[in-house]
Amino acid sequence: MTSIIKETQSIKDAVAFINTIDVNKFSRLLSRIIQKLHVKGERTFSEEEEQKLQAALSLDKNALDLVLETAAFILEQAVYHSIKPAALLQQLEQIHLNPDKAEVFSQSWASAGPELVEKLKRNTFAPKKLDFVSWQLNLQMAQSSQARLKSPSAVLQLGVRNEDSEVQENIFVEFNHQQLLEFYNKLEIVQGQLDSLT
Amino acid sequence: MSLSNVKDTSFLGGRIPPEIESMSKNLKDVDQELFRKLLKAVVSALEGKDCREIMKSIAESSVIPQERLSHIIAGMHRVLSEAIRLPASSLKQETFKEDLRELRIPEDFITDFSSVVFGNRRAALEAASSQSDPHLPSLEEFKWRVDVSISTSSLARALQPSVLMQLKLSDGSFQRFEVPVSKFQELRYNVALILKEMNDLEKRSILKIQD
Repeated sequence: MTSIIKETQSIKDAVAFINTIDVNKFSRLLSRIIQKLHVKGERTFSEEEEQKLQAALSLDKNALDLVLETAAFILEQAVYHSIKPAALLQQLEQIHLNPDKAEVFSQSWASAGPELVEKLKRNTFAPKKLDFVSWQLNLQMAQSSQARLKSPSAVLQLGVRNEDSEVQENIFVEFNHQQLLEFYNKLEIVQGQLDSLT
Repeated sequence: MSLSNVKDTSFLGGRIPPEIESMSKNLKDVDQELFRKLLKAVVSALEGKDCREIMKSIAESSVIPQERLSHIIAGMHRVLSEAIRLPASSLKQETFKEDLRELRIPEDFITDFSSVVFGNRRAALEAASSQSDPHLPSLEEFKWRVDVSISTSSLARALQPSVLMQLKLSDGSFQRFEVPVSKFQELRYNVALILKEMNDLEKRSILKIQD
């Protein structure tokens, strides 16, 4: 299988540094990186944490940055190609990573990998995503222009959220019976399309 | 009609609105042509159209002083809005005419009123007047797309279906958002549930009570 990690100079340097790290510490480092890999634009470690890491791993700032970036890169490649843990192990040995570190990589990937792939599958470019559905069914008895109504009316609340924010925007839509039925029929058509995909 | 002191109150309620009282006083020596012009203008106004030009021209071409005309117009507007408020099933045409006769409105004019309230323009009038009532936006247009993302910058083989929806609401706003397949199922399920509840509601006896 084609190698997913080309052995460039910076890879060689990174591997050299990684090989100096204690295997247990490295294992914990890797789990943390995997957890945050699907989140775009957020640094895995805060400034403070990075400084502590530098001390704990006896690496200067540049070395640490290189190690973190390279570890993340390897994982991203693994995800992109949906590579199996055994194949990953082979690739890492090819770039001269110590067997114990390679083993740690492979194991972390085996346990956390599938979940990461699922999360990334759900990442899309759409600005907003439907997050929350709620509704209320009312019986409207009257309004200024009409007395003695007794017309059922439903209010649908659609909560949409931007990819990176916690703020939910609510869309409220009102339907009478006929309108709701029309909407439902359209949803059924969409469902038909989804069914034809599987 | 000898049991007249046990008669139901007029469709206008226990107390006749003042503008209607004053209209009936001011209808003397108004000919049918003028009455019909005024009625037509009032119906236009109820449908939401701008009638200032028409009213001006009627006022200018008539011998009747503007003040009297404004009493008549106000009364007409009130009679029509009150009649349209009540569903056609509860206010019968005969009752409507009877109630107007009680106000001593000439028979020809009663017929004209009646043809507006019970004629084929009624639906348009009802729709126009409920525009100004408070309501949440309704769905005007619903467009959708089913996508399968085959590959992304993070995954060579993604093969993930998703639904993209675009809603155009009656307040003019557009809402576009993606719906993950699981949320779509939730939405569909909930809409079906509301429809079932609506059906149950419509069957219940409270709705069968005639008023």
